[in-house]
Amino acid sequence: MVTKQDVENIAILSKLFVAEDELDNLTKQMQEIVSFADAINNAPDSGEEFDNINNLSNVFREDVVVPSLSAEEILKNAPEQGENHFLVRNHA
Amino acid sequence: MKYELVSGFETHVELSTNTKIFCSCTTAFGGEPNTHCCPVCIGLPGTLPKLNRQVVRYAIMAGLATNCEIAEVAKMDRKNYCYPDLPKAYQISEYDKPLCEHGYIQLSNGRKIRILRIHIEEDAGKLIHAHGDTYVDYNRGGVPLIEIVTEPDFRSVDEAREYVERLQQIMRYIGVSDCRMEEGSMRCDVNISVRPEGSEELGTRTEIKNMNSINNIVKAMEYEFERQVDVIESGGKVIQETLRYDDASGTTSSMRGKEDANDYRYFRDPDLVTILTSREEVEEIRSILPELPAVKQSRYTDDYGIPEKDAQLLTKYRKVSEYFDEAIKGLDNPKTAANFIIGSIFRRVETEKDKETFDVPVSPAQLNELVKLIEDKKIQNNLAKKTLEKMLDTGKSCTEFIDESDLGGVDDGALEEMCRKAIESNPNAVSDYRGGKEKALMSLLGNVMKQSRGKADAVAVKTKLIELIAE
Repeated sequence: MVTKQDVENIAILSKLFVAEDELDNLTKQMQEIVSFADAINNAPDSGEEFDNINNLSNVFREDVVVPSLSAEEILKNAPEQGENHFLVRNHA
Repeated sequence: MKYELVSGFETHVELSTNTKIFCSCTTAFGGEPNTHCCPVCIGLPGTLPKLNRQVVRYAIMAGLATNCEIAEVAKMDRKNYCYPDLPKAYQISEYDKPLCEHGYIQLSNGRKIRILRIHIEEDAGKLIHAHGDTYVDYNRGGVPLIEIVTEPDFRSVDEAREYVERLQQIMRYIGVSDCRMEEGSMRCDVNISVRPEGSEELGTRTEIKNMNSINNIVKAMEYEFERQVDVIESGGKVIQETLRYDDASGTTSSMRGKEDANDYRYFRDPDLVTILTSREEVEEIRSILPELPAVKQSRYTDDYGIPEKDAQLLTKYRKVSEYFDEAIKGLDNPKTAANFIIGSIFRRVETEKDKETFDVPVSPAQLNELVKLIEDKKIQNNLAKKTLEKMLDTGKSCTEFIDESDLGGVDDGALEEMCRKAIESNPNAVSDYRGGKEKALMSLLGNVMKQSRGKADAVAVKTKLIELIAE
């Protein structure tokens, strides 16, 4: 059961501002979305413990250095940059 | 009322692998900003992490060296939080199936500090706050860490200090980390609560984050202990919160909550597969572990009769203990070699950093050769000491400084003759000694040693002098 408190917490975690008068509607919608997943509970399963979908284990890389990209390339998609750093503006 | 400290540690240790935990970028410290990065470690969409095998091996080594059980099945999880030091908005860590669990480190007072778990995870990037903005360097992002979590088993600040020193020593011995606190490759979060002495209940705890020197840990713990006692004594309640320690003022202060709901929404990382560790692999790793410092130390004290304090000095750094082990091969009494190392050699290798590498001009074999001469009673201790200094100056072996005339002791006849000569030429010293000035004997002794060019045995000379004076 999704509560108003859950929605408020999720809003905080998602850095979203939610107005008081939106809460009831959002809670109802969130409940509906979560209910979709409940359908999975009704699907039959073999009852065996399930680890990961490909049933893979121990896929490793050897500890050998490969050259990194240049700072210029790394910063290419940065919304803002300065002094070869990603720049995060303080909006507070 | 008297209060007791209750404390637990979470220690992050950066592993000394060549590459990051999920990509092949270098882990080298420093470097120009954002030059040790690739699409994986800056979290670009569509990239996939691939686990570094060496990270798993190092973590298992750390687990075995701290008496942990190694999990047959482990997995990686996502720890979600939104902060610029994490480009993916989650850190890949291990939640409910860590690689190592249920270990301990024993302290010198006999108490065991239980280790709850050791898990592997990725380090975050470095943030520089300037001009009201935040500059992010992801060079450190993705560097492999192990987090070592203890139970709340510390009852004093001294125990905490010893634990950190031992942990540092063990990790360096097994070579999984350099544990340089000043470079951030070892960082401690400390949980602290207080309770009336004798109580079994745990008080409300606070957590001091990210301390990077043993001195600061000690000072912060002392301050926080007093602060909590003051709060309780004045009728207040300790609030559970995360604190930072300010070195300049020597106080702790509340940190802004990273996540109000403190809800990391851990879930399995679907990009990473299960880690299975066979018992054979665990035993194979156990077999390559070096002798651990605690075992070495008791070998030195119990088997060689070396005083505990000296044994501690010899085992503090792996290179020093290896040097010592090499130097005492085939010797009857390792104590002499121990004294030479702690005395003459340590005087020239003063800093902690130098002891860590222990690059000494005299090789262990050369020291062995010198001590062998003493054991075979070919030269006296004093002469050996002087010779060692010359060896340290030049890097040459002892045979370069000891000629045939130095070898062999002084026979009894010659010794008596020298003593008589000393007594005859120093009537004042003799009468001073007879008058009760014990120290006067030293000048006679010095005279004989000079005559014998340091070859005479000081104890034998003293006995002979006393005997002759009494005649």
